[in-house]
Amino acid sequence: MATKNAEALAAANKKYEWGFTSDVEQELAPKGLNEDTVRYISAKKGEPEWMLDWRLKAFAMWQEMVEPDWAKLDIPMVDYQNAYYYAEPKKKPSLKSLDELDPEIKRTYEKLGIPIEEQKVLAGVEGARKVAVDAVFDSVSVATTFRKELEEAGVIFLSISEAIKKHPDLVKKWLGKVVPTRDNFFACLNAAVFSDGTFVYVPEGVRCPMELSTYFRINAENTGQFERTLIVADKGAYVSYLEGCTAPMRDENQLHAAVVELVALDDAEIKYSTVQNWYPGDENGKGGIYNFVTKRALCQGRNSKVSWTQVETGSAITWKYPSCVLNGENSVGEFYSVAVTNGRQQADTGTKMIHNGKNSRSTIISKGISAGRSDNTYRGLVRVAPTAENVRNFTQCDSLLLGDTCGAHTVPYIEVKNPSAQIEHEATTSKISDDQLFYATSRGLDEEAAVALIVNGFAKEVLQQLPMEFAVEAQKLLGISLEGSVG
Amino acid sequence: MTDTLDLPTKRQEEWRWSDMAALEAAAQSPAGEAPDADGWFIDGLDGPRLVFVDGEYQAGRSDAGPVTLEQLSADTDHPLGRRAAGAGWVLRVGEGGAKTCIQIVHLGSGGANHVPARIELAADATASIVETYAGTGWANRLTQIDLARGARLMRSVRLLQSGGFVSLRDEAEIGEAASLVSIVLGAGDMGSRIDGNLRLTGDGAFAEMGGALLTRDSQSQEAAVVVHHAKPEGSSRQIWRAVAADTSTASLAARVEVARDAQHTDGEQSLRGLLLKRSATVNLKPELEIFADDVKCAHGATVGELDKRALFYLESRGVAPARAQALLTRAFVADALDRIGEEAVREAFADNADRWLESAL
Repeated sequence: MATKNAEALAAANKKYEWGFTSDVEQELAPKGLNEDTVRYISAKKGEPEWMLDWRLKAFAMWQEMVEPDWAKLDIPMVDYQNAYYYAEPKKKPSLKSLDELDPEIKRTYEKLGIPIEEQKVLAGVEGARKVAVDAVFDSVSVATTFRKELEEAGVIFLSISEAIKKHPDLVKKWLGKVVPTRDNFFACLNAAVFSDGTFVYVPEGVRCPMELSTYFRINAENTGQFERTLIVADKGAYVSYLEGCTAPMRDENQLHAAVVELVALDDAEIKYSTVQNWYPGDENGKGGIYNFVTKRALCQGRNSKVSWTQVETGSAITWKYPSCVLNGENSVGEFYSVAVTNGRQQADTGTKMIHNGKNSRSTIISKGISAGRSDNTYRGLVRVAPTAENVRNFTQCDSLLLGDTCGAHTVPYIEVKNPSAQIEHEATTSKISDDQLFYATSRGLDEEAAVALIVNGFAKEVLQQLPMEFAVEAQKLLGISLEGSVG
Repeated sequence: MTDTLDLPTKRQEEWRWSDMAALEAAAQSPAGEAPDADGWFIDGLDGPRLVFVDGEYQAGRSDAGPVTLEQLSADTDHPLGRRAAGAGWVLRVGEGGAKTCIQIVHLGSGGANHVPARIELAADATASIVETYAGTGWANRLTQIDLARGARLMRSVRLLQSGGFVSLRDEAEIGEAASLVSIVLGAGDMGSRIDGNLRLTGDGAFAEMGGALLTRDSQSQEAAVVVHHAKPEGSSRQIWRAVAADTSTASLAARVEVARDAQHTDGEQSLRGLLLKRSATVNLKPELEIFADDVKCAHGATVGELDKRALFYLESRGVAPARAQALLTRAFVADALDRIGEEAVREAFADNADRWLESAL
């Protein structure tokens, strides 16, 4: 029996290239969720009183809230009591350099297929392109590189628990301002039990000297991951942030309810890129990650700009709407997304562009690719407030269907209260034409390579928006995600 | 009965833009005197004429022709439609028969009235029906339509109530090569909710539901239509225009669903909104739900004001600004009303729209 299981596991692991677990001793909070869990997490992180109060308030609020069910998703009941809310790799002496990093963790990064550039950085290769990595291994940041160079530029790039201790005023000022605690069920849960995450502050007039990056990785079995990211770009600042994720294979569904808050003040720009490749579950939809994330940006200042780019290939269920609240005059919001679903995956994703400022503009480009027995939904909102003059929005959502057992859905909401607004929405649904396939295969490509090529072309407008390191990985991912979907 | 209304709320996704408070107020308004029926029929059309006052059939003022009056059950789970059980009207047309231009006028004096209706066309039968709503109060209707192979139904509905609320729920099954065209004009001062669920259950069926909603003052009108393609080779059109003035709200939600087997579906949605005032609102939701991989579904949605260049062009030709605006708005609305088959009906509808535009602009 045991061998059978092991064999089955090995076979399953083979299918998911990044499905593995590494043995790192873990310190776990007791299973279940109650006020004590919240206190435990807070105490474990040595948080100040105000933070604990904030968490407890959120927890009390969460208990009153009802799980939403309006999305086009079939979500099995999540048992919030049957999960660990805190896991931390066993304390090792504090690290001075990356070489001292737990070799287990280091190997994990290697298997993750972290973009070569970043691997070099992690390995300490000289002359490697500068990318700062704040690695989140389960719930605690274990290594932060390039801190010094960033410090010289005045950029604060810390784990959020460190930031709470070192820069309480900054955190207090912005935490929960973009995504209020009571915003939604999952954001509220996150506020109560968030384990760690990233804090970035770019001071006035500073262009962040390198791209910042965090690798999220869910490792411990049954550990809900509740990341909290807060990025503040002060007047005239610029920062580009990369977020990439893979997760090891698990039998039980794992909930990921992160919150990402971005704030752009006058003339500031934030570029936020995500490649998400968490475990999608096996072909019957068993296992896999639930990715219920609240991402929102506040374009508070004049001429501020936020650009979201996401490549979503993993997770059993993806449910997120990276949004922009465009309060500033002439502010700009952008959303570029590729969402691939295969097997039994479900995705309900899109964006919200809330135009409150004069002359604010937004662009939405969404490419949905469904294969296997999956469902892929674009859901978006463009809202124009009565006071927002001369708003422009352009939305394009294209769907590509591979096979006739999958679904593609488009649910755009348009709410306009100002006549000077110009809102355009375009959508298409198509399949890969036989002509295209025939042409590519007649040139010697096998069918899978041909599909990958065509799909990459379909998603080109979005992939172009990704930083170099990510673009390569993302292209590879698209191909891998669609393996076995044709023929 | 009003305290047991149990209406959908804004928290329900399909009802988030609905103004159920207006419906409730209309339902509770006291009954008074209904307006005269005569002015509401379209002249120059032969055919049966039926009058309903506060939901009750007026035999003395009607010539029912092929239409029969029957007790009907409300076989639906739609939250408003299911209230419409009881005395209603039925049109049955036998194979190859043709019944054209049946006119039905619904007059309301206040309070709530519910009327169910059933339209059953046998193979290759054709029929056309014009319905007009006038007066006030809450008029709630459930219309169930069944079209057999090759049957054709043209349905035109105008909402011209001076107040109150009109809620329509249409449920249609459209068989092989059958065709249904439903055009709705909301040009009165009532609130409205137009619900449609059209199912194409035969190969090569055609379904169209569209129209124009014109809103002013604090009025709120809304259409929510679902077209479901269950079989291959079907086509559907949803062409809606919304014009909102003052502090009013016009909302359009149109959905095309394409089932797995419904290959070669050709679906088209065109939702366009025109805002005449800063304080008005237009909400649009052009929704697609596609499970077949060889289909053509296009949807377009735009909101904005009148094209400034077109206005300038007309003004430079000596057309007064107000008139230029009226002309362009009229053209904007005409897109949706042009689908009406009979000329007399089309002209009457265009007239109603024009009169609305003249007073609103």
